[in-house]
Amino acid sequence: MIARLPSLLLLVALLVGWEAWCRLGGLSALILPAPTSVLGTLWSEIATGRLWPHLAMTATEMLLGLGIGAVVGLGVGVLLAEFPALSRLLRPYVLASQLVPKLALGPLFIIWFGFGMTPTVVITALICFFPLMENTLTGIGEVDPSRRELFRMLGAGRLQTLLRLKLPAALPVIMAGLRVAVVLALVGAVVGEFIGGRIGLGASIIAAQSVMDSSLIFALFIVITALGMLLYEAVRLLERRVLHRFSKG
Amino acid sequence: MSTEQSKPGFVTIERASYRYEATGPAVVDAIDWTIPRGEVHCLLGRSGCGKTTLLKLAAGLLMPTAGMIRIGGEALAGPSPRAGFVFQAPTLLDWLSALDNVLLPISLKRRPTIADKDAALDLLERVGLADFVMRRPAELSGGQQSRVAVARALVGNPDLLLLDEPFAALDALTRKELQDDLLRLCALNGTTALFVTHDIGEAVYLADTVAMMAAGRVTQVRRIELTRPRHRDMRYAPSFITACRALRDAMDGAATASRRPAA
Repeated sequence: MIARLPSLLLLVALLVGWEAWCRLGGLSALILPAPTSVLGTLWSEIATGRLWPHLAMTATEMLLGLGIGAVVGLGVGVLLAEFPALSRLLRPYVLASQLVPKLALGPLFIIWFGFGMTPTVVITALICFFPLMENTLTGIGEVDPSRRELFRMLGAGRLQTLLRLKLPAALPVIMAGLRVAVVLALVGAVVGEFIGGRIGLGASIIAAQSVMDSSLIFALFIVITALGMLLYEAVRLLERRVLHRFSKG
Repeated sequence: MSTEQSKPGFVTIERASYRYEATGPAVVDAIDWTIPRGEVHCLLGRSGCGKTTLLKLAAGLLMPTAGMIRIGGEALAGPSPRAGFVFQAPTLLDWLSALDNVLLPISLKRRPTIADKDAALDLLERVGLADFVMRRPAELSGGQQSRVAVARALVGNPDLLLLDEPFAALDALTRKELQDDLLRLCALNGTTALFVTHDIGEAVYLADTVAMMAAGRVTQVRRIELTRPRHRDMRYAPSFITACRALRDAMDGAATASRRPAA
């Protein structure tokens, strides 16, 4: 707690400075709303219950996208690591698919999947796929050759070697990929809603923009940031649990 | 130098050669070698002389490009289930306790029984780790990790133990303790062992027979006439020093390539 005190104090100082600037500088509330006005808007969104469906929608899209992208990324990473020929065949295409700006695919996905949750989930999954695949591939590739030789000597099969040696050894790298994916998932979900959403935090930002309600936009920033931090911390917790079981010490 | 021919061989290496590339130089060059059951043989040589490759051939981790290797009369066609291997580094799994690391060879085949667990605990006790069985490798010293690796190689009671400079990274005192541990454990079940080292003293202390290797060939074979069980005082006996001296001379001779292969 003591260690966090300076960063909390900094936050308070920034908020006070911001508030003072808005009140004394005569800045239009349309350009930069004061913190008190933002918090007021946030509170009324919470109190009236208007926020919850949007929050639930974005959180669901994010979790679904992250879940699907992570599982597929892990699976493809394992396949490419286990079958080098497959890796040589598919790697350029996987790379190309990742270099296409996925948000630019949004309009196409709306044609394919219609408005609503699906296009955003697909975009989020596509974004989360890559860090998991890349890190799984790297993690498995870095498994110490003499440990592989040990498993050969002990007569371990391919699946056994994967499950008992390669995946546990690669886990720290895979979990780091998951942490990156969480951050990207939030971007995917919010920006996906910009393009095709009616409900959701991203869609709410567009709605607030259309009525020039910058105070609401700031309030939504806070909610999005809180959502991201919550999920990031959840993944950190999972990581610590998993790595405690599967790592040194 | 031909005493080993009088006993039947448990491990027989028959004109085994190995090349990494078909047209490349032979890393192991037509080696004949016999290890009688229950004996400890050491392969001694400088880095890059092919001794580790020969050991991997004996383990079945590599297949000879020519010649054949038999263990207990059976020709080797892959990693031998009758052999335990100790690598240069302990190669423990960081996420398993010392006990689970020792049980790994069994747990890869089936669920370990209470008897397996007792056997593993017994081995860990014999290498002086009774109080450390639940520790993970990161919580063990280098010497303790090497002890776990030796216990792991012995857990299935293999007929043959193959060791690739397993103690090279340890300090001199720990190394000598581990050499004593190893000899005791081998004597317990009459385990045959092939031990690769570049340390002359280690080779003479451990071995019944020392083979010197240079450039893929066995250049010198020396029977070590020290009684068993070996004891640390023997390291100062004149016969020990003479044997070390002779091997040292042979090693220098091989390095200048002025000697004809004596094997």
